[in-house]
Amino acid sequence: MLPISYGTAIIVFCIGLYTILSKRNLFKTVIGLSLMEGGVLMLITSSGYVPGGVPALLPFAGGEPVNPLPHSFTLTAIVIGAADVALALAFIIKIHRRYGTVDIDKIRGLRG
Amino acid sequence: MNPVLAIVAPFLAAFTIPLFFVFRKRWIGSSIVLFGILSALLSLFVAAGGERAVVMGGWNPEVGITLVVDSLSTAFLILAALGFSASLSAATEAFGYGPWRFYVLFFLSWAATNGIILTGDLFNLFVFFEIFSVAAYLVVAYPPRSWQAIEAGFKYLIFGTVGALFLLIGIAYAFMATGQLNMAILARVLPRAPETTLSVVIGCLVVGLFIKSGTVPGHFWLPDAHSSAQTPVSALLSGVFVKVSLYALIRLTFLLFGNADGRVFFVLLLFGTVTLCLGHLMAFQQEDIKRLLAYSTVAQVGTIVIAIGCASAGGIAAAVYHAFNHMAAKMGLFLVAGVLAEDRASRDIAQMRGLFRHRPLFVLAFCLFAASIAGIPPLNGFMSKWFLLVAAAERGALIPAAAVVAGTVLSAAYYLRAITAFFSPAETEPPHLRPHPVTGAIVMLLALLGLVLALAPYIDPLREGLLAVGSDTSSGARYIGRVLQ
Amino acid sequence: MKSPRNLQRLGALALSLALGWWLWQGVTISPFQGITGPAARYIHGTARDTGAANVVAAILFDYRGFDTLGEASVIYTTVCGVALLFAKRRYRRSSHGLSFIVKRSMALLVPFILLYASSIIVMGHLSPGGGFQGGSVMATVTILFCVIYGSSFEAARVSPKVKETIESSGALLFVLIGLVGLVTGGAFLTNIAAGFPRGTMGQLFSGGTIPLLNIAVGMKVGAGLSTLFYSMVKILEDPTESSPPEV
Repeated sequence: MLPISYGTAIIVFCIGLYTILSKRNLFKTVIGLSLMEGGVLMLITSSGYVPGGVPALLPFAGGEPVNPLPHSFTLTAIVIGAADVALALAFIIKIHRRYGTVDIDKIRGLRG
Repeated sequence: MNPVLAIVAPFLAAFTIPLFFVFRKRWIGSSIVLFGILSALLSLFVAAGGERAVVMGGWNPEVGITLVVDSLSTAFLILAALGFSASLSAATEAFGYGPWRFYVLFFLSWAATNGIILTGDLFNLFVFFEIFSVAAYLVVAYPPRSWQAIEAGFKYLIFGTVGALFLLIGIAYAFMATGQLNMAILARVLPRAPETTLSVVIGCLVVGLFIKSGTVPGHFWLPDAHSSAQTPVSALLSGVFVKVSLYALIRLTFLLFGNADGRVFFVLLLFGTVTLCLGHLMAFQQEDIKRLLAYSTVAQVGTIVIAIGCASAGGIAAAVYHAFNHMAAKMGLFLVAGVLAEDRASRDIAQMRGLFRHRPLFVLAFCLFAASIAGIPPLNGFMSKWFLLVAAAERGALIPAAAVVAGTVLSAAYYLRAITAFFSPAETEPPHLRPHPVTGAIVMLLALLGLVLALAPYIDPLREGLLAVGSDTSSGARYIGRVLQ
Repeated sequence: MKSPRNLQRLGALALSLALGWWLWQGVTISPFQGITGPAARYIHGTARDTGAANVVAAILFDYRGFDTLGEASVIYTTVCGVALLFAKRRYRRSSHGLSFIVKRSMALLVPFILLYASSIIVMGHLSPGGGFQGGSVMATVTILFCVIYGSSFEAARVSPKVKETIESSGALLFVLIGLVGLVTGGAFLTNIAAGFPRGTMGQLFSGGTIPLLNIAVGMKVGAGLSTLFYSMVKILEDPTESSPPEV
């Protein structure tokens, strides 16, 4: 199971990178950022997997708990990612106000 | 003094300024000044307090988050304190105290910068990099009226976030392979990881830091951000923000990968050289003075990356010394360029003719800073380039060394173009001549700092300190011992 | 025009595939031999060290509480920045909300949603949840106000200054709790060792500073996300700028 989970995480990360590199629509760029972030988070969460693990809530009922450290990283990184996306969308609103488009090719300052 | 105070003081400033806005509007101005002085003093006190490591929450270093003060972080704490104070003073003159949200972001970026410099925990480094970056995107985009600044901020955001995600995936791989996050412990256990995993960790972290610092594959945001931002912010970006990412690059390459994999230094030399050449060539073609300075910053980032790539104590000393020199000179250049561009209401070099007659001191300071950046002996820029050339020759990296020398000639050429314009006679009188007493004072202080730095190799404590930074950092053993004692 | 675009896409595809292959090669999957490193300490020491029942909350707010201060500051930075980007615009009454029935049912539901959010915040050390999660639920209430009562309702009831105060006080509270540890001679963000009561594990009053920090973060996140939403709404509601100028 674990290789599939890592593989999925890497595939999602790369789809995100491809989206950012190839798409010309600013919203799709932000979607790409979210995908990349999701990939990384899946990778981190997978690294905390324990076979047959139970949630890390005391007292541990019936077995070994999963590794709680990746969970706390994931929580931190989700919040940071959400902040980044919110800021990116705010910037897009401002840019759309100015140019009336979200196509990178038509926005002077973002070409190249 | 506990090192955490250097991080907490700017955070306190950022959290209380909104309360002043709500309850006591009149106190905003004085509180900004007081908090600025407090933050700078606390940073300097922490830097002066000698080497030590403390763990948040009183845990042991493996369990908690460690803050480490060693010679390298001391040097960069001083650099950050000087740069932020200079930029804050210039900002209070340029913007007044009205836009308090700008100052909140300013203090947040200060706190995050000190956090990046002090932290000894890999994930905590990422968290502080995020605060730092988010604040940086926003100070670039200030004021929101300027469309150029908004676009530059957005571009910076996209690049910066991709860089942050590469950092995060590198940290995730390091955690996956070892289960540890403390950098001192990682320095011990990471070399035992499989070779491919190690290469992924190194690759991702280096790519992330390249994008954050503006080294070549990720340099596209830098000229836009530096040239579109307001003058005090441009000075801050060039003087401090770029250096912080380079600090992280020095710290991580030497601590985590120095013993594990020497190939990373070859990569640094390669990309440093490319960055240097590209930066100088692009700067040569610019007509806009702030873009010229921005591309010059790209070239100087390349110089510092080459110095790191020399993989020796001398190389690190050269990198830190050049970081200081570039901070002093480039902050001064951006501040002067801002004043001169405001006089002519244009950033075009061709429009800036005849300004020597109206602002002789500013123009002379510009000449001094430009000569220093270009590396004219005996100024400070020459001294650090000399250190760099010696380190590169020891390493046998002749092509990067030749590129540095060629770059010196090229940068002398493009700075001379700007200076010629200032001294040549003008057809029209400049329309605006607002006095800039605070900026003028800062420019003079920066020029003085540059002269002190030029003498640094001859002043014993400074030279010893610089060499100590190099020898402590290149082995890493002292750092590890300090944290895990 | 067409072919450079395709070339660019091809390059992006090749780069992504190469990166993916490289990342895949770097994955290390060793047979599971028990949790090692700091995580083992967190699992076995949480009850003794902190008195909290939720190990993840103990990591977030005690062992690695400094990360959480940073994380909450990222949100704070974003909120401040978005408010800066969309400054100087006033709320307008542009929509009057939904029908009477919806408004009445919403009025009945609001106390329960707020109660739910508070319970997530104050029980963060006992069960999954905490300041971030509870704060987000609290912010949804203000977003529901906008949807159901119209965009100007909330601004008229709760002024942005109040939210600003709550947000900054939450952040300040976090730092001050951290400084208590420093003043008592320990380190920043010291919990039990600085004299905060550990309590009995599983009780509401346990875990030392963890519930307090949860409340601080809840204030910060709840007020912050609400400000974020309204900063964006008011620009969309502003008819004077609704049609972008020609470039």
